[in-house]
Amino acid sequence: MFLDRNHMFHAIAMYISMTTAIFLIFAYAPTDKMQGIVQKIFYFHVSSAITMFFAFFVVFVASIMYLWKSSDWWDAVALSAAEIGVVFCTLVLITGPIWGRPIWGTWWSWDPTLTLTLVLWLIYVAYLMLRIDAHDPKRARFAAILGVVGFVDVPLIRWSVEKWRTLHPKPVLIQEGGTTGIESSAMLLTFVVCLGAFLLLFFYLLWERTSIAQSRHSLEVLRQEIDDLLTR
Amino acid sequence: MSGSKLFIRQVLALLVKDLKTEWRTREIFTSMFVFAVLVIVVFNFAIGADPELIRQVVSGVVWVALLFATVLGLQRAGQMESEEDSLEGVLLALHDRSALFVAKMIAQMLYLVLVVVCSLPLCGIWFRIDFTACIGALGVVFVLGMLGLSIVGTLFSMIVLHTRAREVMLPMLFLPVSVPLTIAAVYATDQLIVGKSLRDITDYLTLIGIFDIVFLTLALMVFDYIVED
Repeated sequence: MFLDRNHMFHAIAMYISMTTAIFLIFAYAPTDKMQGIVQKIFYFHVSSAITMFFAFFVVFVASIMYLWKSSDWWDAVALSAAEIGVVFCTLVLITGPIWGRPIWGTWWSWDPTLTLTLVLWLIYVAYLMLRIDAHDPKRARFAAILGVVGFVDVPLIRWSVEKWRTLHPKPVLIQEGGTTGIESSAMLLTFVVCLGAFLLLFFYLLWERTSIAQSRHSLEVLRQEIDDLLTR
Repeated sequence: MSGSKLFIRQVLALLVKDLKTEWRTREIFTSMFVFAVLVIVVFNFAIGADPELIRQVVSGVVWVALLFATVLGLQRAGQMESEEDSLEGVLLALHDRSALFVAKMIAQMLYLVLVVVCSLPLCGIWFRIDFTACIGALGVVFVLGMLGLSIVGTLFSMIVLHTRAREVMLPMLFLPVSVPLTIAAVYATDQLIVGKSLRDITDYLTLIGIFDIVFLTLALMVFDYIVED
C-alpha cells in the first residue's frame, strides 16, 4: 500500500492529527452560546477555506516555476494542487450554506467571501477542464498560464464583490462579523489543531497525487519508447 | 530599424490585414452586432414592460450582451485564423510575437466599439432610456471596460485554438476571469444612467483601470508561451 516509509509516516501523522481535531471539536471545545451545535462546522469550514486558498497559491507558484523551468515535476504539482484545491473549494461551498441556513436564515447569501469562493470554483474547474481538453504538447503551458491569471484575479474579484456587496441586503439574523465567533482559548486551540490537520491532509494528498502524476508521465514515456522500438 | 518602430509597423500591418478581411466579409461584426441585439431583445421579453424595472437592469443587459458578443466575435476570429494554418504563416513573419496579440486585441476592441455605437441607440429607443445626457462619461466606462474584455478575451481565444471543444472552453475561461470587470462596468454604467458624474464612480473606474493594466501586462508576458512551439 505504501511506496516507502516516508509515505507511511506522513499518513499516520495525518490520521492522528485528523482524529485529534475531530475529538477536540466534539469533546473538548465548548458549544457556542449563541449559535449552539451548528457553530462546530466552523472548524471544518474555515480550515477548508484556508487550505483552499493555500492550494491555489501552490498552483500559482508551481505554474510560474513551470513556465520558468518547464520541468514536468512542477506541472504535476500544479495539477495536483488544483485538483485538491477544487475539492476543498467544493467543501467550503457545501459547509458554508449548511452553516448559513440556521445562522443567516438562508442557504445562500452573496456575502463577499462566499461569492469569491464560488467564482474561484468556476475558474479552477475551468482550469481542470482545460487540462483535459487541450492538445497534449501545449496543455501544461496553457494550464500554467491560467494558474497564474486565475490567482492574479483573486484580489480583483475580492475588491469587486466587496464593492458590489454593499448594494445588497446584509444577512438577516446575525451580523457577518459575529459568525466567526471564537469565544474561548479552547475554541482557538481546536481551530488551530483542525487547521493543522487540514494542511497536513493537503500536503499528504499533494504528495500522493504528484507521485501518481509523475508515475503516469514516466509510463507514457516508456510506452512511447516501446512504440518507437516496435515501429523501427 | 529600431525595435519599437518595427513592432508598431508589424502591429499596424496585422491590424490592417484583419480589418481588410473583415471589411470584405463583414462576418465578425455582423455576427457580434446581431447577437448583441438579440440578447437585448430577448431580455426585453424576459423583463417585461415596467419602466422602473427596466431602468434598474438595463446596464446589466447591455454588458451581458457585450460579454456574449465578445465570446462570439473571438470565436469567429479564431476560426478564420486556424483555417489553412494561416496563424503559422503570420507567426513566422513576426519579429516579436506579442505584435500579434496587440493587433488582435485592437481589432477586437474596434469591433466592440462598433457594436456599442450601433446597439446603444437601439437599446435607448426600446427601453426608453436617455443615454445622451451622460454620453461622454459613458464613453469612458465603455472604452475602459471593452479594453479589458478584449485583453482577457484575446488571450484566452489564442489558448482555446489548441483545444478540442473550443466553443465551450472560451466562455468557460473568459466569463469567470472577467467577473471583476463585469461587476465594476455594470455598476459604473448604472450610476451614470441615474445621473451621477464620473467623479462619483472613480472607485469603479480605478478597478477597471487596474484590471486592464494588470491583464495587459500579464498577457504580454505570457503570450510567447502560448504561440511558441
